[in-house]
Amino acid sequence: MPKTMQIHERVRRLRAFYREEKRMPGYAEMLKMFGYRSKNSVYGLLQKLETLGYVRKTPQGKITPTSRLTGSIKLLGAVQAGFPSPAEEELVDVLSLDEYLVRRPEATYMLTVNGDSMVEAGIHPDDIVLVERGGTPRNGDIVVAQVDGEWTIKYFHKDRKDRKTVRLEPANPRYKPIVPRQSLVLGGIVKAVVRKYR
Amino acid sequence: MDTLLSQPLTLSSYPRAIMHVDGDAFFTSVEQSIHPELKGRPVVTGKERGIIACASYEAKALGIRRGVGLWEARRMCKDLVVLPSDYEVYSLYSKRMFDILRRYTPIVEEHSIDEGFADISGLRRVFHASYEEIARRVQRDIHNELDIGVSIGLSLTKGLVKLASKFRKPRGFTAVAGYHIHLFLQRIPLEDVWGFGRNTVQLLHKHGLKTAYDFATRPEGWADRLLGKVGRDIRMELRGVSVIPVSPEEKSAYATISKCKTFTASSDDRDFIYAKLVRNAESACIKLRRYRLCARELIVILRHKDYRQEAVEAKLNRPTSAVQEMVPLVRELFESLYRPGAAYRATMIVLGKLQTDQNRQYELFEDPVRMDAMIRASRAIDEINERFGKHKVCLGSGLHLNRHQRTERDDAPWRKRNLLEGETARRRLGLPRLCVDV
Repeated sequence: MPKTMQIHERVRRLRAFYREEKRMPGYAEMLKMFGYRSKNSVYGLLQKLETLGYVRKTPQGKITPTSRLTGSIKLLGAVQAGFPSPAEEELVDVLSLDEYLVRRPEATYMLTVNGDSMVEAGIHPDDIVLVERGGTPRNGDIVVAQVDGEWTIKYFHKDRKDRKTVRLEPANPRYKPIVPRQSLVLGGIVKAVVRKYR
Repeated sequence: MDTLLSQPLTLSSYPRAIMHVDGDAFFTSVEQSIHPELKGRPVVTGKERGIIACASYEAKALGIRRGVGLWEARRMCKDLVVLPSDYEVYSLYSKRMFDILRRYTPIVEEHSIDEGFADISGLRRVFHASYEEIARRVQRDIHNELDIGVSIGLSLTKGLVKLASKFRKPRGFTAVAGYHIHLFLQRIPLEDVWGFGRNTVQLLHKHGLKTAYDFATRPEGWADRLLGKVGRDIRMELRGVSVIPVSPEEKSAYATISKCKTFTASSDDRDFIYAKLVRNAESACIKLRRYRLCARELIVILRHKDYRQEAVEAKLNRPTSAVQEMVPLVRELFESLYRPGAAYRATMIVLGKLQTDQNRQYELFEDPVRMDAMIRASRAIDEINERFGKHKVCLGSGLHLNRHQRTERDDAPWRKRNLLEGETARRRLGLPRLCVDV
C-alpha cells in the first residue's frame, strides 16, 4: 500500500494561507510550505486537490481555489455578553452547506415531496428531502418506503417487544398510521429537508 | 480433459488479491434505481440513437439485446419502456461506485463507466476479514447504497477477475483462489478470455484448443511464438501471475481523440450533415486543448443509414489544436465522401498522431503572427464557452444544425425535463434525484 497523503492537513494549511494572503501560494511557496524536495511533488498534490475539487486550473494553467477550499459561507462567532464588539468572523474550519446537509455523499439522493402527510414534521409538498440509502432506521426516523406497492414518506416505528411489527405514522391528523400487510421495502432515511424561497 | 486429473497451476490462495466490479446492465439498473416503478419491467436505454444501448435483465429475457434496433425491440415486446440515455446520472452513479471501492483500497482503476479493478492485497489485517469477505462487503455496500446490481470477481490477476465477474451474473460473486484456477479455466471458452478477438480464437481452435485452460497450460515459448508479447502476457495472467497491474492513474495520454454523433433522424441534407461533422471537429478540438495536445492527422467518417461507413484520412499541414485550421481539410474530405441523395446516420472525426502543444516549431514559410492569433482566438472561445455554455461561440456552419425535423429521439431525459428551481440546462445539483411519488 502506498504512503497516504495527509490531504486534510495540506488543505488546512492552504486554507489558512488563502485567508491570510487572499491569494493562492505559488509552486515555490508550496514547496517550502509542505517540505517537498521537488516541484513535481507540488504538481502531484495539485492534481490530487483538483480531482478532489479543492482547486481548479484555468486554461492558462494557473491555480485558483474553489469554494470548497475557501468555504462558501463564513461562520459567525458568538457575541460575548457585555462586550459591545461586533460578531467577529471565527477562523474555524468551514463546513459547506453541502457537507452540512449530506453526511454520506455516496448514499444520498434528492426526492421531491408531493403529498402532505408529513406537514407537521415540517415537510411540505414540493420540498426536497435528502434521503440516505442503505442504513437501518431507528424509531422516530422519517423514512421513504414502499408499502404494499405504494411509495410513502412517514415516521418509522417498530414495536419494542414484538420486533416484527412495523408501523408507519404520518405527521398529519388527516391520515392514519399504516401497517404493512404484504410487503415493506425501505427506500431510505430522510436526513434533511431543503426548501428554497424566492 | 479430465477435470480431476488436471494439476493445479499454483498452490497458494491469494498471493495477490484483485477484484473486478462490473455493473449489471448498468444504465438500465441506474434508471430502475431512480425510477423504482420500473423494477421488474423490461427497460432499455438508447432512445436518442434509435438502437438499444443497454437492456435490463427483464428485457434480455425477452431476447432484446444491446445493438438491436428500437422498432424491432418494440415488436418483440409491446410494453417495452424506452428511455433516452441520461449520461449525467450514469456518471453520478459511476463516481459513487468507485468512491465506495475507495473506502476499502486506494488502488482503484476506473476501467470504464460501469466497471473497475481494485487491488485489495494485504488489506485482510485492516478489515479483520478474508479477501472474500472484503469483496462481499464492497458488493453489499453498492447494492444497499446505490440500489443497483453489480457482479464481483475476485482472484489473482486482472485477466482472471475479468472472467470471474462475468462467470455469474447478475449480482454474482465469483472468487477464484490460486489452487482453483485450473478448475475455473476449464469452464471458460476461449472466446471469453480478455484480449482474445475472434481471429485469435479461430487461430487457437486450429491448434485444437478449446478452453482457457488449454491455452494456459501450453508452454510459454509456444504462446510467445504464436501471439507475441500479448499472448505471453495473457497466458501469465491466466496462470495467476499478475503482469498487468491495477493502475489508479487517471487517463492522461490519448493516442487518438474521436467524436461521433448519431443524428436523431437520418438525413440527406448536405449542409446539415456537414454542420454535424464540423461540430464534431469543434468538440474534438476542445478536448484536444483541454489535454494540451495537437493533432497531425485527421480522419473523417460518414456512416450511412444502413450502418455502412466510409472513411478517408489526411495529414494536416502542421500539428494544430485550432478548429479553424482544420476546417478547410475537413471540407475537402467531406466533399470526397459525400454522395448527394444518400441518407446518413452519423458523422465522426478522429484526430490522430497526437503530440503535446509545447515546444512547437514554426516552419520556414509559416506566418507566426497568424498562428499566434489563431491560438489566442481558440483560447478566447474556450473561455467564453466555459462561462456561457459549450458551443455558444461556434463556426458558422453550426447554424444548419437546427435544420431537422424533431422526432421522439429528441426527447430529453427525465432529469433534464424536470429542473429544480435555480437549475439551468448547464448546471444541476450533483445528487441523483429519485422519481417516486410520496
